[in-house]
Amino acid sequence: MPCVDTTQLLKGVLDLAVLAVLREGDGYGYDILRRLRAAGLQDVGDASVYGTLRRLFANGFLNTYVVPSDEGPHRKYYALNAAGRAELERNGKTWRGFASIMDDLLRDRGTA
Amino acid sequence: MNDIAEDEITGYVAEVRLALGGLPEATREELLDDLPEHLAEVLAEGNGTLVERLGAPSAYAAELLAAAGLATESPKDMSPWVRPDEVRERVLRWLRAVDVRVGPVLGYERASEFLVLLRPAWWVLRGYLVAMVLAHLLDGGSGPVGLLPRIGDSVLVALALLAGCVVASIWFGRRELPDKPWPRYALWSGTAVLVLLALAGFAGADSSSRSTPYMDATYSGGSPYDSVQDVFVYDSQGRLVEDALLYDQNGAPLRLGSQYCVDQRTGDSWTSWQRGYPHCPQVNPFRSPPPSPTDDVTPSPDSSVPASAAVPAASASERPAGGAVSPSASVSAPAPARSSAPSPSASPSR
Repeated sequence: MPCVDTTQLLKGVLDLAVLAVLREGDGYGYDILRRLRAAGLQDVGDASVYGTLRRLFANGFLNTYVVPSDEGPHRKYYALNAAGRAELERNGKTWRGFASIMDDLLRDRGTA
Repeated sequence: MNDIAEDEITGYVAEVRLALGGLPEATREELLDDLPEHLAEVLAEGNGTLVERLGAPSAYAAELLAAAGLATESPKDMSPWVRPDEVRERVLRWLRAVDVRVGPVLGYERASEFLVLLRPAWWVLRGYLVAMVLAHLLDGGSGPVGLLPRIGDSVLVALALLAGCVVASIWFGRRELPDKPWPRYALWSGTAVLVLLALAGFAGADSSSRSTPYMDATYSGGSPYDSVQDVFVYDSQGRLVEDALLYDQNGAPLRLGSQYCVDQRTGDSWTSWQRGYPHCPQVNPFRSPPPSPTDDVTPSPDSSVPASAAVPAASASERPAGGAVSPSASVSAPAPARSSAPSPSASPSR
């Protein structure tokens, strides 16, 4: 197993990534998954995204609403609420701080 | 969305629901709420079946639980069903532990390293087992199974079949495992059948070789009939029955002794052509005294008995001869003998 496991990294930042995607606009599960993959997170698992959405909702960061669909069943849309935006801002700062530390570390050692 | 896709989605959702069985119903249904819709989108991508695209329903459920932060309730243990993949996982984990644990005992890091070295030996054994099974099938299972893969009675054919199967097995073993799953499953199940047949054959051979002493009295060690070389049958009148045939309770002929005869007294030996018992009627142990001396195999002790019986009479007449009595006594002896008065010859001995 490589020292840096992208699956493990993804677990730590998936909340942040989902919140960031939802800042661009409301979306339903499959739509959010597609946007994450389009952004470059190819390895993200379907079930992981749904589980994350459920947990963020349970923690009060998201609102949901149902949109009837023409051809299939209804779609449950997720939207950031005020608490979600605050969470995104806080976690975003944490991540930038962490990322810059890692960047410095790697630059100092001459590996990046 | 067609019916087949709908069935696939319904089945997948049902299995995920089963895997989430440990959750409270409200939580579970909330998690499953947008699953059918999502599965429909996934199928619409056209990248294969749901299992190919998303993995097993149980794995999907586990990932869902972990991401939702509900995994601590370990619904797997609470589910009453033990799924095959779980059993497989558990067995594999156990085997890996045994592999590492047993390895150092054998002098290797892992036991599997040692087993890999034994592979050519298994190929040879496999060739032998295949040859035995083939021979048993082709021979119609007529005779008892021996150690060679015999078809008929020819040892040459058996050895040729054995050599062919062993070489084929080694050649097959040196090839790569087939890539496709079906040939591999066929190989594994064939091997399993072969091992089972071998165990059955081994158990059968073991039990038949252990029961041999009771079946054939002449073959084993420790039987009271070991020293039997011939059998003499007498009728109620004490007359020797010649060419008697002996059978056991199953109608199988009893074979005791050999066709090889030895006369203990003369040291002569010959091969008998008698079909029945006794093989060697000439060495009858209870032979009555011969009615006439014409019998050329008259035992010498028989002829010596009358000779020794005559000894007292002879010694009685010889002693006086050895004594101080003059030869005249022997001259006079015939006369009193005729008158049945042996006193003159007996008196000098006192």
